[in-house]
Amino acid sequence: MSELPPGATAALKSAALKAGAAVCGIADARAFDEHAPPRHRPADLLPGARSVVVVGGAQPRAGDWAATSRAVLETMGTTERIQSVGRRLAQLIESELGYYALFVPPGTASGDTPFLSLMLAAELAGVGSRSLAGPVLNSEHGFLYWSAVITTAPLEVDGREVEAACPAPACREMWEREATTPCLEVCPASRGGCLDGRLESGRAVRTFYDAPRCHTRVHTHWIGGFQKVLEEALNEPDKDKRKMLLYGDFFTRTLWAVTYSSTNVAQCFECMRVCPAAHGKKELH
Amino acid sequence: MGIFRLDPETYRRHKDDVLRLCNSFQRIDRRGLSDAEIAVELGLPERVVTEIRCVAERDCYPLDEWEKAIEFKDQACREWAALALKRPDLKRGPDG
Repeated sequence: MSELPPGATAALKSAALKAGAAVCGIADARAFDEHAPPRHRPADLLPGARSVVVVGGAQPRAGDWAATSRAVLETMGTTERIQSVGRRLAQLIESELGYYALFVPPGTASGDTPFLSLMLAAELAGVGSRSLAGPVLNSEHGFLYWSAVITTAPLEVDGREVEAACPAPACREMWEREATTPCLEVCPASRGGCLDGRLESGRAVRTFYDAPRCHTRVHTHWIGGFQKVLEEALNEPDKDKRKMLLYGDFFTRTLWAVTYSSTNVAQCFECMRVCPAAHGKKELH
Repeated sequence: MGIFRLDPETYRRHKDDVLRLCNSFQRIDRRGLSDAEIAVELGLPERVVTEIRCVAERDCYPLDEWEKAIEFKDQACREWAALALKRPDLKRGPDG
């Protein structure tokens, strides 16, 4: 294979933005080695991987963040829009540049473990940094969904973001005043939530995260909820009580979700809704 | 033959260790280990560790926690509505 033509990286990024991405960055595939365990690194998925193209976008609209209905908020997670951008870039790299390109599958490799950490990819590609609540935030756009393409193409890589979006100035002030932040206050591990952490010299330090509990909130009506009710139904000897479980609102709503009849993959946004850094810099009225 | 099925006794014996070592409960002082790394640590085949982790991820919390998730989100939405609409009365649920 030949080296890339001049301007190939810039042209690829431009194509990503035209296809609907809010941001596009490129990470060195080897940079994952320091952070990700073996089998979760780019070269484990695509031998000879040299770069990882990361796109972010498809974020919830400002109106979604302002919604007062749980059922509406549970439909905000529309990751497939950014995944289609990732797929398009993979095709472009192979057809236009002549290098292998592997679209990182958005599902899981096993259980709740992803093939490749898209959050780490976004950090290494310089398009976001980790927040106290967990999600990677872009300093301009806030909370985004991510997609990545691993490629053998030697693209020009980006450095990490210099200015982290988290903690926002308002959160630093709140920490000084109350020793908490909006995200820690809304979902504290000490009171049945998922998060614990602190601000230290103006930096966010997350000290604890309960992923299984977060799963019950983010994926209430999803795979886990389906398995739980199915188990309960199988263990229920009374046929009328079984019917109440299987025909009831919880299971019905779960089936709508898992069959993609009503797209809702991520279903809890409370830590992000209260986050001053999550909604981008553009103000609406 | 069927699919690979974990022995329930093996699951019970190693569930807590696998949960402690994997990425489920994340702490600042250590990175969660991969299944292969946990397998070395516990002296188990990797496939067994993967199965233990997958079952344990779902088994951590009972179905009640899913109901609590709904209550949590309903409450958070009510508080948000009360704040956004400047209507403190909205903080209360439909049952008062």
